[in-house]
Formats: sequence, C-alpha cells, structure tokens
Amino acid sequence: MKTRRSRRRISFAVVIAFVIVGMFMVRLVDIQVVEAASLNAASYNKRAQSLITYGTRGAIVDANGAVLADSVDRFDITASPRIVLKSDSVTLAADLAKIAAITKQDPAALMATLTASPDSDFAYLDKGVTLDVYKAVDKLDIPWIYFERRPGRTYPNGAVAGNLVGFIGTDGPQAGLELTQDKCLKSTNGSATYEKAEDGTRLPGSQVTSNDPKDGGTLQLTIDRDLQWYVQQRIAQTYQQLAATWATAVVIRIKDGHLMTVADYPSVDPNNVDGVPVTALGSLAFSTPYEPGSTMKALTAASLIDAGVATPLSQVTAPSQLELSDGSYINDAEEHGEVNYTLAGAVVESSNIAVSLFSRDLSAQKRHDYMTAFGLNSQTEVGFNGESDGDVHPANEWDERTNLAVQFGQGMTATSVQMASVYQTLGNGGVRMPVTLVAGCKHADGTVTDLPPTEGKRVVSASAAKQTLQILEQVVTEGFASADLQIPGYRVAAKSGTAQVADGQGGYGDASVISFAGVAPADDPQYAVVVTAGIPTSMYSSGAIASTFRDVMAQVLTTFRVTPSTQPAVNIPLYW
Amino acid sequence: MSNLAYARPEAPAPNQRPHIEIVATRAQRRTRPRAVYAVVTIGSLFLIFAAQLVLSIVVSQGAYQIDDLQSQQKALLRTQGALDEQFNLLSSTQHLAQNAATLGMVPNGSPRFLNLATGAVVGAPGTIDPTGCGGNCGLVANSLLTGVPLATQVAPKAQTTPQISAAGNAAPPATGNTALPATVDTLPAPVTH
Repeated sequence: MKTRRSRRRISFAVVIAFVIVGMFMVRLVDIQVVEAASLNAASYNKRAQSLITYGTRGAIVDANGAVLADSVDRFDITASPRIVLKSDSVTLAADLAKIAAITKQDPAALMATLTASPDSDFAYLDKGVTLDVYKAVDKLDIPWIYFERRPGRTYPNGAVAGNLVGFIGTDGPQAGLELTQDKCLKSTNGSATYEKAEDGTRLPGSQVTSNDPKDGGTLQLTIDRDLQWYVQQRIAQTYQQLAATWATAVVIRIKDGHLMTVADYPSVDPNNVDGVPVTALGSLAFSTPYEPGSTMKALTAASLIDAGVATPLSQVTAPSQLELSDGSYINDAEEHGEVNYTLAGAVVESSNIAVSLFSRDLSAQKRHDYMTAFGLNSQTEVGFNGESDGDVHPANEWDERTNLAVQFGQGMTATSVQMASVYQTLGNGGVRMPVTLVAGCKHADGTVTDLPPTEGKRVVSASAAKQTLQILEQVVTEGFASADLQIPGYRVAAKSGTAQVADGQGGYGDASVISFAGVAPADDPQYAVVVTAGIPTSMYSSGAIASTFRDVMAQVLTTFRVTPSTQPAVNIPLYW
Repeated sequence: MSNLAYARPEAPAPNQRPHIEIVATRAQRRTRPRAVYAVVTIGSLFLIFAAQLVLSIVVSQGAYQIDDLQSQQKALLRTQGALDEQFNLLSSTQHLAQNAATLGMVPNGSPRFLNLATGAVVGAPGTIDPTGCGGNCGLVANSLLTGVPLATQVAPKAQTTPQISAAGNAAPPATGNTALPATVDTLPAPVTH
C-alpha cells in the first residue's frame, strides 16, 4: 500500500512536470518559430533609425570654372510648442531672447509662433539660417530646439549671367538653365537605416541598408564671367544714357559658335528675384525678337554675292524715293537726290533704296532660303527657356513692300542671338556653327554628357563672306560713326541698324531699336558682337550705340588676347 | 549487495603469504585526471568569456569612435562649404571690380599687350575708358555683397600699415634701379606651369 501510494504521487508529479514543460515548449516554439518573423521585425523597428542622406545639386560654372550657381547648407530651427510650453515655462522667455539675438528676430514674434498653436508638435522658429547662426544657436544648448537641414542655392556673382542661370524658387527651378538643365543638375537623395543604441550611437555590426545619394552634375557654360560682367555693366550705362526700355549684347566665338556673353538689361539678380520686374527674369536676347533693321544688309550683301548676282562693285543708281505699285514709297534715312552707289556703298551708307534695287535681281524664294540658312525663323541650337523663333514669313506671303523691306530688316524679326549667329557665319568664312551655351554636363562619376554639336553648315561661299566683311570694314573706316567705332591696332567690320518698331496697329510708332553688329579682327575674325537697345523715342540713331559696340569689342579683344591686325584695310569705292 | 556476499563460496586459504601493496582504488584513479579536465574546461570557458567581453568592448568603443569621427567629418564638411561660399562671394567679379576701382585702378579703353618673347608692345595706346568701371561699377547687382566691406574699408592692423606704405614708396625706385631690363632677354616673365 505504501509503495503504491508513493508511486502514484511520483507519477502525478511527473505528469505535472511534463505538462508544465510542455506548455513552455509550445510557447517557445510559438515565439521562436511561428511568430519569429513578425517579432523580429517589431523589435528591429524599435532599434532601427532610418534617415535621408542628401545629395547635392550640381553647380553651374562658367567656361573657366568660376562658380555662377552653387548649393549651400542652410538650416531650419524648429521646436515642438506642445512640449516646450509644458516643460520650459521658467526659462522660455530668456531662451527665446537669446535665440532672437542671434537670428535677429523679435523675441515676442518667436513667442507668438510658439503660442499660436500650443498643441502642435511642430513650429519653425527660423528658416534657412547660415552655418554661423546654426552654430551659435546650437551653442546655447537649449534642449528643446531641433535643427533640420535645408539645401539652399546661392549665386555668388549675383546678376552676372543671372538672366542665363535662372533661379530656384520654393517649388524648384523656375527659370533659365536651372530649369532647362535640371536633368543634369538635380541630385537624388539616398536613404540609410541602422540600429541605434539608446544614446543614438550606431550599434556595431548592425544591419545597414542604404541607397547612396547621388550628387547632381556640374553644368559648364561657354560664358566668360568677367566679360559677361563688363558687357552687362557697359549696356547698363547705355541703357541709362539713352533712357532705353531694354538693352542686350551678345558675344559669340566665331570658330565654334560658342556664346561668350549674353547680356540683358534689366536683368535679374537670382539672389533677389523680387528686385526686378517679371519681364526681366528671362533672357531678352533669346526671347525677344525685334525687327533688326539695317544690320540685315550684311546678310543681303552676302546672299547677293554668293548667288552671283552682284559683287561689292556692282552699280546701281538710287533715286530719291523708290515708288511701289501701290503708290507708297521706300525711303532712305536721309533725303538725297540721285546717287550712284556700288553695292559696298549701298551697305555702308545704308541706303534702303539701293539695297532694294539690288535685291530685285534675286528671286524672293532664294533670298528667303538664305535667311533660313543663316538660322533665322527658327530657334538656335541652344533652345533656351522661352527662346523665340523669330519670324520670317514664307516668300509667297511677302507683299511687294515686304519683299524688299525684309532685305533691310523690316517686316521680319530676329533675336539678338540669331543676329549674332548671322555675323558668326560671315566671320567664319560662310560656315554657320551651332550656337552653343552649354559646354557640357560633368556628372559625379566623372562622365561628361550634353556635349555641344560641332558640325557646321555652309551658308555662303568663303569668298562671299570675305567680300561682305570687306564691305563692312568700310563702315568702320568711312561710315558716319567711324570715329566711335575704331579700335587702334585692329581692323573691325561692323554694321549699324536703326529699325522702327511696329506699333501693333499696322504702322510704325516712335519707338525704335538701335543696334550695331560686327566682327573683329576683320582680317582673321575671332569674335562677333551684337549690341542692341530698344528706345522709346526716335531721338537717337544707331550712332548712339556705336561706342558701346566699340567698348565691348575692345574688351573682348583684350580678354581673349587677340593679336592685332597686321595688314591695313582694303578700300572699296562706295560710289561710281 | 551484502546478501550476495554470503552466497559466495569462501576462497581457499592461500598456502603462501601473498605480496601485498596499497593501490589506488579504481574510483581514485578515475578522479585524478577528471580534475585536470575540469580546470582546463572552466579555465578556457573563462578565457573565452573574457576575450568576448574585451572584443565586445573594443568593438563598441570603435562604434563610438566611428560615430565621433563621422560627426566631425560632417561638421568639417559644413565648415568647408561655408568657407567655399564665402570665398566665391569675395572672388565675385563685382567685389573685385569695386575694390579695384576704390584702389584707383581704371580700365584701359584699348587692348594693349606686351609680347614677352619679343619685348614688343602691340596695340595702340587708348584713352582711359571714361565709361568703364572707373565711374560706376555697381550697375550689375549682387545682393549678397550688401554689408561686405571693401579692402579699403577693412581697418588694417596698426603695425602693418606703415610697413606697406613704406614698401610701396620704396619699391618703385628699387625695382627701377635693379630690375629695369637692359635687354629684351631679361624681361621679367611670369613663371607659369
């Protein structure tokens, strides 16, 4: 009896033990096997810290690497009003006063920010402060302040090329190359996750999953910053002297069509976009076509010579007025009797009548084709934001007047950059090079993309281009503005333009566009320059802008160390 | 066990006196090497634990060091960025031009070059450009330069001012006497790389 009872007791205890162990086993398997994945994930989320790693937007640099636009670190100072107001009621006012002293804000305004929505968990105390301010505020050791990095953009050269570079608003790129070249410049943010200890230190050996951030590429322009500055400065003076409504200047390198300068006035300082009217945010030289006037006569002369219907010495007798079949007239700027002009004389003396008479020798369609071959009536290869095509109507739409007027730059429009391209072609022996503003995009991994096209296209023969330049040289040696145009030591070929501006009602008003376009040195052309100003009165002729053209050209020759001409200019008779 | 002992027949008495010596029991013999094993095992366990502890301390120390260095690197990169920004601003064309103008420099209106190889001056003398930056350099805006002092406005340290002006006064005659090139070959050409 005794042993049986004790045996039963023992077996009971064993069963109980087995049951308990069994329960633990079940739970163990449940935790270790059944729920293992979800529990691991839950615990990982507690330990893991994920963060965004920022890529840097690429810089925009000039031809020599000078920085025109760059990314900088800025910081937002934030706080949680709910926590601050609860925990720091004693020293809050004093703390805010200390912060305000550094950020140059009003302490009362900061307090108002915090108390505006006391239950909120987030409020900005200041946005976009610099590193100095960040460091100073950080030093205060105020426990409830948090900093957030905010990538910023700065334009160290201000308005120098501001019209080209564009700017970035709160919603991203807004204008210029910042907008159109965003694909090159933009960066991709990365992410990283690691396990952190209680004090935020990364746990050694913890799993890190990360996508590396990708920096944006560096956009290199063909622009020369210092020259761009000088030209902007110079056309700003002209703008003020003439009380102009706008002024532009374009400098283009003849051998490859690279733009050295595209200046507009007024133009934007990308650091302070609100400082200028909306119309000045882009680039007028690309976006605003105008009737170029007599600078087109160079194109006309080149077309006629290339087509073989005229030489610089071809002769014409210009009457005092040229009557059209509808009874209207084509006039010259100054009244004259009958004059025996050569083609050279017609261009140098800028006779609309004589140029019209010469133009009749070539069919309208052919003259139209020359214009489009020179790059008119279509955007340049740059494709600038808001760039205009200009406007040359099809030849079959030209009426009798337009048929002649287009040859001296009325009844058609072109942009400053297109005109610069025309003179680049003439300077380059008749070969038009693609107009280029972006030299390339250098990516973070060292590859370079967006390389400019290099293939030129012959528009007129080398001989026709050379003879046209010889005619244009006479403008500088003998023309009405020759005293203002000459650069000692250099042969310059140039042409003036004074064009009336259509008033929008089928006629012409008081406003006019005056311009000068040319190349230097004429014996070995290196650079073409076009300066243009829109003025509200007909008070000034193109002579008013001759010295601007000369100064810009002289600065171009100095900047790029162009060696002076060795041979004197050839004289061509203007009359017969 | 004790019952079984009785069941055994008694061993016959030996005729000779047997050789007797004290030997360790089997249990005793077995115990001795066991102690050595235990010591070795426990000792190596402790060694492993200690090594693991040391390793773990070193690794986490390294984690702190990495953390520290990474935040240092971040701070230094930020400082570099801020200095780059300042450098780019100070080297902006507007700032340099304004400084040059206030120091009395004016641009020459015409290109003029000195050919170092031949010593020849090319280009013709021009007039001082009256509409260059000599007049008003501030027509191309740069709002970032607001409040940035020009070189002439930065108060020089007390000691250096007289030295600079003394050097400035003394230098021209000195170079005039010694460095004026007698022949083209001795023209001071800049060292370029």
